[in-house]
Amino acid sequence: MSPLARWLGLFAWLVPLVLFAVGPVVLLLARGAGAPGTLGWDWLVSEAGALGNTLAISGGAAVLALVLGTPLSLLLFRTDLPLRGAFTVLFTLPSAIPAFIWGMGWLSLASPRAGYLNRLLGEGTLDIHGPVGIAFVEGLSGLPLVLLAGAAALRRVDPALEEAARVCGASPARALLTTTVPLVLPSLLSGAVMVFLMAASSFGVPYLLGVSASPPTRVLTTRIYELVLLGDEGLGRASALALALLLLTPLSLLATWALGRSGRVRLSTGKGLASRPLSLGRARTGATVGVASTCALLVLLPLAAILLTSLQRSFGARLAWEELTLAHWSGVLLEPRTLRATGLSLLLATGAGALVCGLGLAAALLQRAFRRLGAGVEAVAVWPYAVPGTVLALALLLAFSRDWRFILVDKVAFVLALAHTPWLLLIAYAAKYLALGTRNSAEALAQLDPSLTEAARISGAGPLRAFVDVPLPLLRPALTVAFILAFLSCATEITMSVLLVPAGSEVLGKLLFDLQSYADPAAAAVLACAFVALVVLGQAVLALVARRAAEAR
Amino acid sequence: MAAISLEGLFKSYGATPVVRGLSLEVREGELVSLLGPSGCGKTTTLRMLAGLEHPDTGVIRIGGEMVAGPGVRVPPERRGLGMVFQGYAVWPHRSVEENVAYPLTLRHMSKTEVAAKVREALRWVRLEALATRRPHELSGGQLQRVALARALVASPRVLLLDEPLSNLDAALREELRAELAALRARLGTTLVFVTHDQGEALALSDRIAVMNQGVLEQVDAPETLYREPATPFVAGFVGGANVLTGEVREGAFHTARSGTVFQLSADTSAPPGPATLVVRPEDLALGEQGTPLPLSARLFLGHAAEYRFPVDGTLLRVVAPPLEVRPGQTLKVQLRKARLFSVG
Ligand SMILES: Nc1ncnc2c1ncn2[C@@H]1O[C@H](COP(=O)(O)OP(=O)(O)OP(=O)(O)O)[C@@H](O)[C@H]1O
Ligand SMILES: [Mg+2]
Repeated sequence: MSPLARWLGLFAWLVPLVLFAVGPVVLLLARGAGAPGTLGWDWLVSEAGALGNTLAISGGAAVLALVLGTPLSLLLFRTDLPLRGAFTVLFTLPSAIPAFIWGMGWLSLASPRAGYLNRLLGEGTLDIHGPVGIAFVEGLSGLPLVLLAGAAALRRVDPALEEAARVCGASPARALLTTTVPLVLPSLLSGAVMVFLMAASSFGVPYLLGVSASPPTRVLTTRIYELVLLGDEGLGRASALALALLLLTPLSLLATWALGRSGRVRLSTGKGLASRPLSLGRARTGATVGVASTCALLVLLPLAAILLTSLQRSFGARLAWEELTLAHWSGVLLEPRTLRATGLSLLLATGAGALVCGLGLAAALLQRAFRRLGAGVEAVAVWPYAVPGTVLALALLLAFSRDWRFILVDKVAFVLALAHTPWLLLIAYAAKYLALGTRNSAEALAQLDPSLTEAARISGAGPLRAFVDVPLPLLRPALTVAFILAFLSCATEITMSVLLVPAGSEVLGKLLFDLQSYADPAAAAVLACAFVALVVLGQAVLALVARRAAEAR
Repeated sequence: MAAISLEGLFKSYGATPVVRGLSLEVREGELVSLLGPSGCGKTTTLRMLAGLEHPDTGVIRIGGEMVAGPGVRVPPERRGLGMVFQGYAVWPHRSVEENVAYPLTLRHMSKTEVAAKVREALRWVRLEALATRRPHELSGGQLQRVALARALVASPRVLLLDEPLSNLDAALREELRAELAALRARLGTTLVFVTHDQGEALALSDRIAVMNQGVLEQVDAPETLYREPATPFVAGFVGGANVLTGEVREGAFHTARSGTVFQLSADTSAPPGPATLVVRPEDLALGEQGTPLPLSARLFLGHAAEYRFPVDGTLLRVVAPPLEVRPGQTLKVQLRKARLFSVG
């Protein structure tokens, strides 16, 4: 790429990012930082409860994910547990399906009076409302983050280390516990930090299980939502809370980075060190039963509860075959409101997916073209992913609450009037999930030999033609994966949708949220089932793409 | 069918100079080899010729037209070249014939014409049977031949080959060398051939350009290069000669470190002073006279044997008729023919 083209490309790429992601968030931060000055410190102290709850709940979720994730990742990725492939797929579902839906599942199971479990155990035995329930659901939905971190680390542990312990006389289990576990622990911990961050950013679950609890459990995200609903007077306070929430991100990322560093030193750098899975021996049956029942309880049961709720005449009615009905299904799925929401959601998800792929590929190419500056490009592209949805949505809401007028030449002005339009949602989705496009394309591009493109140039193709003929088809699997991931995330997104959907429009995430919060749990359950079906379908397509890509290699 | 001229090329990556003041003229239809050790800048030179890198300073002309120089930078697709990359660069998403057809499709030829030319190119490289295969179903040598076919299918005026035969077995390499020579005779293509195999360069080239650390040491016809190396490096690299540094004093050569003395024959002209001694293994003799040296190893070569003696931290190699000797024994080594390069 010639230097001029590079700089023009960088500029063209940066303009939308600064205008629609970096700029709004910076404005929000500035506003938030000024808030204590105008509102007084007393007010900030009165919000300390929300901050405390956020920290406690997120910490609890992280601990739960770590405690469950450590033995599970060892069993799934280091032993000869039967069916471990199937278990792995099932245990990654909690992250693929929105946390809000898991919250709905546990609400069906463990709401104090009508919850299915409480009907078995006696009314009021379990109550999913309140901080413990929220942390429980968040911890479960973050479990895959710990499992994946564990899987990646276990793949890099040199099996010779464990063998050395065996030669020294340690039993297999002892060798595992004294060599492998300490080595992968930093990675598992960094997975847990990601769970903390995810839980702190989460809005749907604390809203579902916290706001209607008695006493209500407020966290930063739900407080921000309440303040935004207050209108203009609340926005200043909301910005201040957003700033507090946003500060958790760099702190957590710093912790992850530090853990990653201490972890990396002792892990082997070589890839694909295949080690023989540890034989479980006589513990095999017990382990299998344990993992299977954990999976059934934590993954399958909540989904089954939602299905059951969607089929019941009314939630809390007597459980009997003749009480089951498909009325909710036909009602919800054929309702014009649902159809409109589906239409807009699919449109937005497709648009956002295309933007994520295009801008992400551009980011990866720029990263390559600018050696040193490349890291900065990546940071700009990936950073919105770490910004909590509530904060990003609030930033866009504030920045575009008024129209922006740009005067290019004397008379040519163009007005950016985005308030109360679906465009804001498109921007929010694309910005938030841009990281998926960037990461996937950058990884694929790194594996691409530059001489392949050069060979096309020598053959007589111009720069553009060479790009279209050689790297583009080779990057297609990675871009397909990025598109599907972004599409699924956008189509099932709830947090930003709730804040940004303009009056009179409807998207799926907002519809689910409204049905569950205000109207009709059974109708919400139908929609939730549709979400799950969509996610499972998407995951199946992803698996297919991965298989095809592996075959072509 | 174009002459190439490189004038005063410099290229560095960051602070590391890779090509330093390289000038080279290649005549129309000539085959010039770039020969040199790994990392000496052969690929970089070829890439500048192809337009994939731009020289920091210097001028490149192809067929009289300036393609790189101050303010001029003709992109690779407009230089009319064919190139075989060191790593083949066969496109994994295209079949063998699609790979080979690509340069032709860019030239807007008719389908039948393309098919005919592809078939011809695949015949040259003996790959007709594999036309529909995908690259991941091919061996390294077959990939290399796909790259070769793709480079020459459009009859380019200049063909750049970066170690195009390195992955082939001896018989196939021999066959393709012959094909390449025939092809050149027929098309009159100018060829620049990168290799670090001196045998290949000697057998194939009209002239050989020997490179060392980014500098051209000598450009000459193979025989001249072999008989009259211009520098100790060329002698060492091309003829496999022994190279020793030291000093000429009183008709003898004294090595720098251990002070081992080699008597110079009368016909070796050598002014006294610091010098580099270059002598081929065949030009050393074992016998009654000469410098006594301890033998460290003996390698049987069939018609002869190679004897190795540690001198000044390197091994002095002598090729002589097989003798019944064992390592540890002291033998007398005599210079029969040597070249001396004055230092400084
Ligand atoms: N893109 C690059 N950036 C930095 N250094 C480079 C780059 N390409 C090559 N070099 C360096 O330039 C030097 C010359 O490289 P070049 O590829 O031209 O060597 P070569 O003669 O082709 O060697 P070989 O026979 O191993 O292929 C090497 O030291 C190499 O490390
Ligand atoms: Mg090379």
